Parts: sequence; structure tokens; C-alpha cells
Amino acid sequence: MLYVELLAQGLVQGSIYALVAVGLTLVYGLLRILHVAHAGLFTLGGYVGVLVTNATGSLLLALLVAMVTVGIVGMAIYRLCYQPILDKPPYVALIASIGLFIAMEEVYRLVFGPYGISFENPPLQDVVQMFGVTLRLGEVATAAGTLLLVGALAVFSGKTRFGTAWRATVTDPDMAESFGIDIIKVRYLNFFIGSAFAASAGVMVALLNNMVEPTMGSVPSYKALAIIVLGGLGDVRGTLLAALALGVIEAFGTIYLGKFLDRDAIAFAFLILVLMVRPQGLFGRA
Amino acid sequence: MAMLQLENMDCGYGAFHAVHDLSLTIQQGEIFALLGPNGAGKSSTIMSIAGHVQLMSGAIRFDGTDISSLSARERVRLGIAVAPEGRRLFPDLTIEENLTVGGYSLPKGRETINKEIVFTLFPRLTERLKQPASTLSGGEQQMLAMGRAMMAEPRLLMIDEVSLGLMPKMVDVCYHAINHLKSQGVTILLVEQNTKRALEVADQVCVLESGQSVWQGTATEARKAPDLIEAFLGMTKEAS
Ligand SMILES: Nc1ncnc2c1ncn2[C@@H]1O[C@H](COP(=O)(O)OP(=O)(O)OP(=O)(O)O)[C@@H](O)[C@H]1O
Ligand SMILES: [Mg+2]
Repeated sequence: MLYVELLAQGLVQGSIYALVAVGLTLVYGLLRILHVAHAGLFTLGGYVGVLVTNATGSLLLALLVAMVTVGIVGMAIYRLCYQPILDKPPYVALIASIGLFIAMEEVYRLVFGPYGISFENPPLQDVVQMFGVTLRLGEVATAAGTLLLVGALAVFSGKTRFGTAWRATVTDPDMAESFGIDIIKVRYLNFFIGSAFAASAGVMVALLNNMVEPTMGSVPSYKALAIIVLGGLGDVRGTLLAALALGVIEAFGTIYLGKFLDRDAIAFAFLILVLMVRPQGLFGRA
Repeated sequence: MAMLQLENMDCGYGAFHAVHDLSLTIQQGEIFALLGPNGAGKSSTIMSIAGHVQLMSGAIRFDGTDISSLSARERVRLGIAVAPEGRRLFPDLTIEENLTVGGYSLPKGRETINKEIVFTLFPRLTERLKQPASTLSGGEQQMLAMGRAMMAEPRLLMIDEVSLGLMPKMVDVCYHAINHLKSQGVTILLVEQNTKRALEVADQVCVLESGQSVWQGTATEARKAPDLIEAFLGMTKEAS
């Protein structure tokens, strides 16, 4: 039973990684920018989620508000931080992004206080039995919510006209524009969706830990970088799989390697191992 | 009536002028062939008309109005479409999706109609609609690149390197499509390595060399003086 338990926990953790990393890989795929400040949006999502839940009593409403507001903040970051420096070398955007991330953490500290905030009445804490393992409702909701969001993204990008235009823009922006696609609109949408996904992950983590704090994005920020490299930079499907794989490996790793390897170090041991064998990432084409 | 006029056009990259002081006029409904050795500036000219290579001086007039300040997206709405050098298909998108993107500047309702037209000219494409464009052979890729451009219902269609790397049979299919488009009144600007083939279909010819126009005239004149053209083309002789 331990294996199933670990697998389930790994998949829940992996779902959260996936929701954060998708946005990062989307931005990288479209603009070739490593959007480090993305993890700051994850934190913001957590804060909005807790505050709105406490104010209204509805977690679902809080999730929606968090996704929309953070999505809009993500678009604003594109417009104000990245758009003016797009024609500069990539490290310029990277430095700007790191600076923005640090600034965001400080803003959260100033606005929401250094000790973090919690739910007044933590929702979804009941325990359920599924497939012979005991899970909290919050964990089930996390996995189900991730499935729903990723499914919606797959349908949108795969089956709609705008989704097709989006994928075309990622591979060749100039040609996409030459056939009438508004590539600026595509960029905004890209940031909106990626940021909203990160916000949903923030709400889920808030739910699972009953806690949001200014620095809760630090670990996800570098882990998500490892994940998108593993998934093959810019490859959404690869990123999702790499995120789930990492969640599961961490779950097992903490039990079996925990004595000499910290949980957060496992991601990088795994990253180094994979890159030694497959420099193009787990699923990338050679 | 003049559909496209380049007036003393300079275009290039950064500070580098790839094309210098180029003037030419393309009449409505004709096939205009742009010839010249490698690096002459043919692709730069086409991509400058499409709005991707920076115009440095001069003007590009379409239907008499200067379009040089318009974005690529606005130009396709006016009816300028391109099948570029190297095809530049969207490799991960299916054949059908590539065509959808081709027609993106038009209302969705036109898509079905235009796809039918493309499929009539290039029946090969219907066999693999749901496959990624990256799986196509060179000839099929050129068909798709032309089909994608046709989806925009262009009034001016620019095709770079029509027959480069294609088997003779595929070249025939492409030229059949070009002739069909001409019969429908579409104006065509083509770049072709195969001089003989280009002179067969073209009405007007311009030979570029090192970014400058060195000869312009009707295709009839050019056919009468093949040595002259070959002298200009020099380096590409073996390709024709
Ligand atoms: N992206 C670019 N950046 C800088 N210079 C370029 C670029 N593309 C082309 N050039 C230069 O511009 C000049 C014209 O190139 P262009 O591609 O227009 O020639 P072409 O006539 O199409 O040649 P080919 O027959 O080889 O396709 C060349 O000197 C080339 O090196
Ligand atoms: Mg060329």
C-alpha cells in the first residue's frame, strides 16, 4: 500500500509542479525568455485565494478570482517588463525577471506581513478513501482541478482556430503574422493562461499547507526551471510529464534517499542525471 | 493597371543594404519573374514586400498607395500573400491546420471554400490532412506552402524558389497551379532558379545581381536573347 500512497502523493505534488511549469514553458516557447518572476505570480495566487476565501467563504470563487486577477497581472508584466526589452539579448530579460521576482516577494512581505496568512476555516480538509489510500479532499481536488485545467488547455490549443494560431505563432511568429495573426494578442493570451495556471497552483498549495507566505515561490521557481529543461524547453506535453515524474520521484526519493539527499535536491540530481543521458530533455527530439 | 510598384527601394538587415535602388512595376494579372544568382537579393525583395525585411528608402506601392508603413498583418489583408524561401511551414501543425492559418486573415466562412480550391489543385494534400507538415516530402511541402498562401485569397501571390529541389513531376504540378491562378486573375511574383521554366510562364522579367536590377524586360525579349540572360545569371547556369 505504501507504493500506491507514495504514487498518489507524488502525482498530487506533480500536478502542482505542472500547473506552475506550464506557464514558464509557454513563455519560453513564445519569447525565449526565462520568466523567473512567474513563481511570484504563483505566490500572488495563493494570497488572493486565501483572502477571497476568508472574505466570501467560497473557495471556488476565490480560485476564479485568483486566476483572473493574476492572469491580468501576468499580462501587465509582459507589457511593462518584457515588451520594452524584447530586442535585447535574452540575459537582459532574465535579469529583469529575477529583479522583478525579488521585488514581488518584498511587496508581499510589506503588504501581507512577513509571517504569512492562513484560511480562517480551512476548506476541503476531510479525509477520503480512494484506491485503498487515504487522501485529503484538498489533494483530490488538486489532482482533479489540474486534470480539468490541462484538459481545457489541450482542447483550446488543439481544437480551436485561435489555439491553432497560437501554436503557429510559437513556431514561426513572422509567418504567423504574414497570414494575419495578431501576434501581440497571442502573447497576451499566453501570459494570461500561464499566469492563471500558476495562480491556481498557488491556491492549491495554500489549501494543502493552510499557509501562504512571501517566499513560498522560491522553491517552485527553481524547480519549475528544472522541470521545463527536463520537459524540453517550450514543449508543453513534455513539461507536464516531467512535472508529474518529478513529483513521483520526489515522493519515493524522500522515503528511500531522504537520509542523504534533501527533497529539494532530488529535482536537481534527477535533472543532472537526465541531461547526462538526454541533453535534449526527457522527451525532446534530438 | 499597375498592381505593385517598387520605387527606388533599398532594403536590408541592420546597416546592410541587401537591395539597392530597385524600381519595378508589376501589372495586374501578370506573372513577374525575379531572377538572379545566389545572394542577389531576390528573397530580401519578396520579404520586404511582405513586410518582414526592413525598407531603408524608397516606396512600395500596392494599388497606388504606399504600404511601407503597414505591418505584415495589414498587408495580407490587402491581398499580398507569400510562399517563402524554405517553405517555412508550421512543422508541428497538421496539413489542415497549416491551411487554416493560411486563411486566418479572412472570415472563418471562407475557409471551407478555399480549402476545396486548394485540394482541387493539389489532391495529394487531401491524403494526409491530419499529419504534421514536418512529415511531408519536399514536393508536398511546396504544394502546402502554395496552398497555405492561396488560403489568404491573395491578389498578389509571391512564390520564392518554386521548383528548387523538386522532381520534374512536382514542378509540373506547381506550374499547373500557377497557370490556374493566373487564369483567375491573380498576379504572381515568382523567384525561380530554373530560368527556362520561369521564362516559359512569365510575362515580365527582372534580373537582379548584387542587390541591383541589371536587366528588365518582357519574357519574350528575354527568350529571344537567352545568352544575355545567362550571362547575367552566370553562376546559376548549371541549375537551369
Ligand atoms: N537575415 C539576414 N541577415 C543579414 N543578411 C542577410 C539576411 N538574409 C540575407 N542576407 C544577405 O542579403 C543578401 C541578399 O540575400 P537574399 O537571400 O535576398 O538573396 P537571394 O537572391 O534570395 O539568394 P538565394 O538565391 O541564395 O536565395 C545576401 O548578401 C545575404 O547574405
Ligand atoms: Mg533566396
